[in-house]
Amino acid sequence: MAHLSWKQIRAWMRCHLFARGERGIATIGIAAAAILLAGVGASGWWMLSCANNAGIESRAEELQTTGVMLARSAEVMLSNNELTALRQLISETGKKLRLTECRIVLKPQQIIADIDPTRINEVHLPATWISEPLAASPATGSGNIILRYPLNVEGRGRAYLQMAGSTSNSLIAWWAAQSGVALIGAAGLGVLLLVYRRNREHLVGMEVIHNALQSYGAGESSPEALGVDPRLGSRAEAWNRMLAELADLRQRVSVARANISGGARRSTATGLESACDAMSHGLILVDETMRVRFANGAASVFLNTRREDLAGADISNLIADEKIRAAIRAITVEKSRRPVTVEMEHQGGSGIGVLRFSIRPARKGDSSAATIVIEDVTQQRMAERARHSFITQVTHELRTPLTNIRLYTETAIDEGESNPASRANCLNIINQESRRLERIVGDMLSVAEVEAGSCTIRKDDVHIDVLCEELRSDYMAQAAEKQIKLEFALPPKMPVVKADRDKIAVALHNLLGNALKYTSNGGKVTVTVDMRDGNLVIEVTDTGIGIRPDEIERIFEKFVRSRDPRVGKIVGTGLGLTLAREVMRLHGGDVVVQSELDRGSTFTASLPLPSEAA
Amino acid sequence: MKIGQQQHGAVMLLKPEGPLTEPEVREFSTALRELLLGSMGRVVVEMSAVPFVDSAGLEALLDVSDEQSAGGRSLKLCGINKTVRQVLELTEVDAHFDLYEDVNSAVRSFS
Repeated sequence: MAHLSWKQIRAWMRCHLFARGERGIATIGIAAAAILLAGVGASGWWMLSCANNAGIESRAEELQTTGVMLARSAEVMLSNNELTALRQLISETGKKLRLTECRIVLKPQQIIADIDPTRINEVHLPATWISEPLAASPATGSGNIILRYPLNVEGRGRAYLQMAGSTSNSLIAWWAAQSGVALIGAAGLGVLLLVYRRNREHLVGMEVIHNALQSYGAGESSPEALGVDPRLGSRAEAWNRMLAELADLRQRVSVARANISGGARRSTATGLESACDAMSHGLILVDETMRVRFANGAASVFLNTRREDLAGADISNLIADEKIRAAIRAITVEKSRRPVTVEMEHQGGSGIGVLRFSIRPARKGDSSAATIVIEDVTQQRMAERARHSFITQVTHELRTPLTNIRLYTETAIDEGESNPASRANCLNIINQESRRLERIVGDMLSVAEVEAGSCTIRKDDVHIDVLCEELRSDYMAQAAEKQIKLEFALPPKMPVVKADRDKIAVALHNLLGNALKYTSNGGKVTVTVDMRDGNLVIEVTDTGIGIRPDEIERIFEKFVRSRDPRVGKIVGTGLGLTLAREVMRLHGGDVVVQSELDRGSTFTASLPLPSEAA
Repeated sequence: MKIGQQQHGAVMLLKPEGPLTEPEVREFSTALRELLLGSMGRVVVEMSAVPFVDSAGLEALLDVSDEQSAGGRSLKLCGINKTVRQVLELTEVDAHFDLYEDVNSAVRSFS
């Protein structure tokens, strides 16, 4: 076994000895008290027994001493024939010493003096007698002592003084004392048990509270988990009340904290510094030693440096771009007066940001300092880029049908008279192209509306089952034409969502239209409606041409169409998916795609359900 | 708590789903701070899937809002429901946030 540390031993003891709680401790306490009482009883018995032995010994000694003296006195009295005095002495001594037998015999059955005068059968002392040895004295029994002394009466014969008495006269007292000790012990134990019985409920209550305290120590803090059964007595009730008050206090504290921090936040600092901090542009003042004299909060955000680290720092360590450093140096060190503006691409965690640094001289007397203003122009740059690509795309998209219209109009005019079939063909193409133009303009307007934020979302009750039925009837003919199997997997009960009916319909039309468009003859398109994680999920799965992995996210951008040659042959604006995603996102949902080239794609549109329907 | 992200042009959208309460606060604050740092503050928090906010959630939002205002910006929230709006109004902290009806108007506010 590995070395046990004292800590481990203590933990073990806590676990195994005290884990049983207060009731366990009470039982252990009672057992200990009983053992203690038994110990006290045993020692009492031992002491009493010692005292008793000492009493017996002293009694035997007393009897022996008295016996020797009595024997010497009796010898003298018998020699002088003082029988009356002798008898009186024997009787008195016997009674005084509580003897059972005290007599003087000349020979067996010839008693001359006795404690009981009626037993005397020799009234007068004979002139002579023949001494006979007495039968051997019986062994001293337990609790009894028998003493025998020979008396020489000169010239007459030999007599005997015989004494017998009890040595265990204190036996009753001894037993009484023993019983007393036992009684006191039993009574003590009884009282202890009684007290325990009376307090058991409290002990259980205390144990439950103790357990609750332990779990509080272990990190439990909810009043529900720490509460105890109120039937366990007044302590349990008090404990529960204390918990309730604690929870109440906690709540108040958190409200007060929120108010205080709110108040702290509300308190407006004044001064130039806080005015600079309120700016969303970064502002840095650099002195002639290229050290930062002042920087506002926004500057620390743009330079991704803590504010306290900015003051006094060398600006060269903060800005990596050599152009900006050179511009600052030109103003501060070389005392140039020409303001410089530099744009720097900043690689952030989520894409690229563009920061514009405007560096201007701030001169006071001889000292030359530079003011650097940092602006985040990412949004503008992206908007410009988008605008540029939009215009390019729009020009291209509009020019193609317009060119066609112009060409076929010219053909129709030139050949119209002579060739009615060709004219009809031209007019048909012109019709198709103008419809395409109309669709492009319509889609563009919708996307522009969404992007400009002028698009408002109505909150209609949209019955998904009705919407699906409309989709089915709209696309059934198109599917049949291409021999595509169009299936709708719908749940028996479909929810009613709050959304803009027309926009949702456009989005779903775009998704289903695309699926049919990019699926070759004999394929299959499935629309699945499901409710998952509080969202309405509409999946449009096709067995079409699929999307290349590198194009998957780009297909949602405006005017982006796959570079796949098969896509080029099919008419499309590159706005349908953009619109579908924007519409769903406006509703708090999204459109995502999973696709495998040549196998097919699944577009998943999700729409949050109202919480009661979820 | 599920925390989704979407990119809208130069603006990042953070979309927490579920109540913003003490057990969730840490994860949410970390995600929000990382996104703010990465995009230099161009972040909108889409709150339409947050049914309610407790005091810890409010504290977290206010802390981030404070950090933002130290940089001359404010925390932009959109799509907050009635319950959360009431919480913000009752605690008188609604003025600390830029509140928008929907994602689009919040995103456009950056330009």
